[in-house]
Amino acid sequence: MNAIAFADVSRRYGDVLAVDGLDLTVEAGRTVALLGPNGAGKSTSINMLLGLLRPTRGRIEVFGHSPDEAVARGEVGAMLQSGELIPELTVRELVAFVRRLYPSPLGLDEVLEMADLTALAGRRAVKLSGGQAQRVRFALAVVGAPRLLVLDEPTAAMDVESRLRFWEAMRSYAEGGRTVLFATHYLQEADENSDRVIVVAGGRVVADGTAAEIKAGAGGHTVRFTLGGQAAAGLEALPGVSAVEISAGTATLRTADPDATVAALYRGTTLEIRDLRIDGADLEDAFLSLVQESR
Amino acid sequence: MTDYIKIELLRMLRNKRYVIFVVAFPVAFYLVFSGIYGGEVAAGGLSGKAYFMVSMSAYGALAASLMSTAVPWAQERGSGWLRQLQITPLAGWKIITTKLVASMLLVLPAVLLVCAAAVLVQGVSLPPGRWLGLLAAMWLGVAPFAALGLTIGSLLPPDTAQPVSMIGMFGLALLGGLWIPLEVMPEGLRSVARVLPSADYAGMGRGIVAGDGLPAGDALAVVVWAAVLGVIAVLAYRRATARA
Repeated sequence: MNAIAFADVSRRYGDVLAVDGLDLTVEAGRTVALLGPNGAGKSTSINMLLGLLRPTRGRIEVFGHSPDEAVARGEVGAMLQSGELIPELTVRELVAFVRRLYPSPLGLDEVLEMADLTALAGRRAVKLSGGQAQRVRFALAVVGAPRLLVLDEPTAAMDVESRLRFWEAMRSYAEGGRTVLFATHYLQEADENSDRVIVVAGGRVVADGTAAEIKAGAGGHTVRFTLGGQAAAGLEALPGVSAVEISAGTATLRTADPDATVAALYRGTTLEIRDLRIDGADLEDAFLSLVQESR
Repeated sequence: MTDYIKIELLRMLRNKRYVIFVVAFPVAFYLVFSGIYGGEVAAGGLSGKAYFMVSMSAYGALAASLMSTAVPWAQERGSGWLRQLQITPLAGWKIITTKLVASMLLVLPAVLLVCAAAVLVQGVSLPPGRWLGLLAAMWLGVAPFAALGLTIGSLLPPDTAQPVSMIGMFGLALLGGLWIPLEVMPEGLRSVARVLPSADYAGMGRGIVAGDGLPAGDALAVVVWAAVLGVIAVLAYRRATARA
């Protein structure tokens, strides 16, 4: 069964098409990263998934129901990008209140422990730091034991150590067959914490697969050398090359087959090649090339 | 929903501004006014100390109902707390109902404390039936102001809702004759007071305290105001929470 299904979903704000014919399904039990630069349509998609925004066109289903129904049944929990707490209430009061809104929630102490809030349970929200408040919002998202957990750039206000702990908590929640969808523009987070990465840019899906597949699919390697003032014509026609960038006298070729590309570079051109370097692409290169192609 | 009402009450009782404006001010003003004018006899035959007891209860209730609705609600809409609630199974109608109920419960401390001060400090004494009638009228009669506060909170952002609700509170209190008795107001202002729900609201309380029963004209006016402002509040709430 699909936890999430978007069928040809678009959302327009005035003249801007924030989401453009999005089609995607997420099977129950997966942890999926929605990866894209700012303005890619991630938050718009998430808000539509939660029923906070209506699609201009298309249909969204969450466990076979409309988003509103899924939310009303307590099947969805979410951490939105911004969201202040009620300043006068303590951490425990806030989490306990939201917990009681759900039909079959987790234990209160269990959730406080999972979100690393046990020591802060009696503190009022007004006195929490940004990272601590973020943990409370995580607790509010999971306390109802939703089958689908949605996180919109959850680590934005966290330092490095908090991030590591956060993802640990997320993984322990996802264990046992729960579905998690998280949006991020940090490639490393997508790579390390998901078993599927959906890359969006310009409101469309531009790549979809495991992090490894996306790296391979986007031209797995780069070949760089100093071009100086020489003409760059013909580089994009070399075997294996999918993209060519020239900047500050350096040529960067993205290639699926670096051996063939380098051989052809020496044998098939008259260029004087200096400072040759071959690198395996990381997800960042893959991501940038995908996003650029989509423009 | 009782959980929700409970946390709404809890948060306001912990809010310093609420406690000062709503609980401390009316009692303090009552003690000052009744100390000065307590021995005089106001229009309608009420003693000054009983007259100001009704006025300051009404002012405290008015302040409580506006303060516990307009700004907190505007803030919750702006800060994302509303969205946090909208992605839980809590039904939308429960949010506004809770706000209304909580706001009406939050007027009780002001009314009870002013009455307690009247009894303990000024020795006001009434037959039990009149006390109950007064409390009921002060409690239920606050509905138009709670609806007004929710409307302000639904339509305006927090930094505008703040001054607007303050102006509303002082305007309704001053022009409605809660600070200055209607009888000593110039004629121009008195005609303004006649159309304001705050004048009718306090009028209900004075009638009951004087032993004349619930004044029908005032009660009808409060009910009509409650109905009109209630409908506006619901429409404004729908607009504020619409999922575009």
